[in-house]
Amino acid sequence: MGADRLSTTFATLADPTRRAILARLALGKVSVTDLAKPFKMSLPAVSKHLKVLERAGLIRRGREAQWRPCQLDASPLKDVAGWVERYRRFWTESFDRLDDYLRRIQKKEKNHGRTRSRSK
Amino acid sequence: MAAPEAGASKPANKKAPDLVLTRVFDAPRELVFKVWTDPKHAAQWWGPSGFKTTIQEMDVRPGGRWRYAMRGPDGNDYPFDGVYVEVVEPERLVFDGAIHGDPNQSVWTEVTFAECEGKTKVTVRQAYSFESDATRGAPIGWNQQFDRLVEYLVRL
Repeated sequence: MGADRLSTTFATLADPTRRAILARLALGKVSVTDLAKPFKMSLPAVSKHLKVLERAGLIRRGREAQWRPCQLDASPLKDVAGWVERYRRFWTESFDRLDDYLRRIQKKEKNHGRTRSRSK
Repeated sequence: MAAPEAGASKPANKKAPDLVLTRVFDAPRELVFKVWTDPKHAAQWWGPSGFKTTIQEMDVRPGGRWRYAMRGPDGNDYPFDGVYVEVVEPERLVFDGAIHGDPNQSVWTEVTFAECEGKTKVTVRQAYSFESDATRGAPIGWNQQFDRLVEYLVRL
């Protein structure tokens, strides 16, 4: 996974409007005009966000003259999901090991208590 | 290489964490806290399965350094270089640090230890900050809802 691409994706996702745009596009293709409606933003402002998304490879835009529909491209998100997934795995597996370890040392303590004078 | 200063690059204690995980352990809270904060114990379980952790420094107090390397099954070392931000025995640990030896990739972690009918409930909250020229000064994070969206999207 290219670190540069990942940081571009993170930077792009840092903006709540762009995340909202992606969430809308997850439902399907949509024209820029329709996309702009719920955001109470000017068309140029929305276009600017779309350019950033397009450069990051998160959306593709049709070439049909009038309504250039926007479409989601989820592939850079896979890198991000993979990154968070690594951390989830880190903790799940560390927790499993911690669980085993706690069982082991508590058992040991109990056995020691029995063989010695149970003082501890 | 300097460790990030406590609080300097904190993405996160005010915003929603990127990852929250909880697990209940069948052990008293003091013991669970101890195995998190004593390097002899921590090295025994820290890291995914197949990883071996070597702790170079574990100075458990606010501002104290924590450095370790995890050797993966692939033979690669995955270093961590961090500082403890908060230490409240036996209930809370907060640390902040750089991963993969890259000061631009940092992870802020809060761990709470709660008593729960003789057992201990551990909750880990993490926020990631991934800085590059493109993102410098703008810590990155997204909420759980978006996280789920991402998971959903990649399955499409």
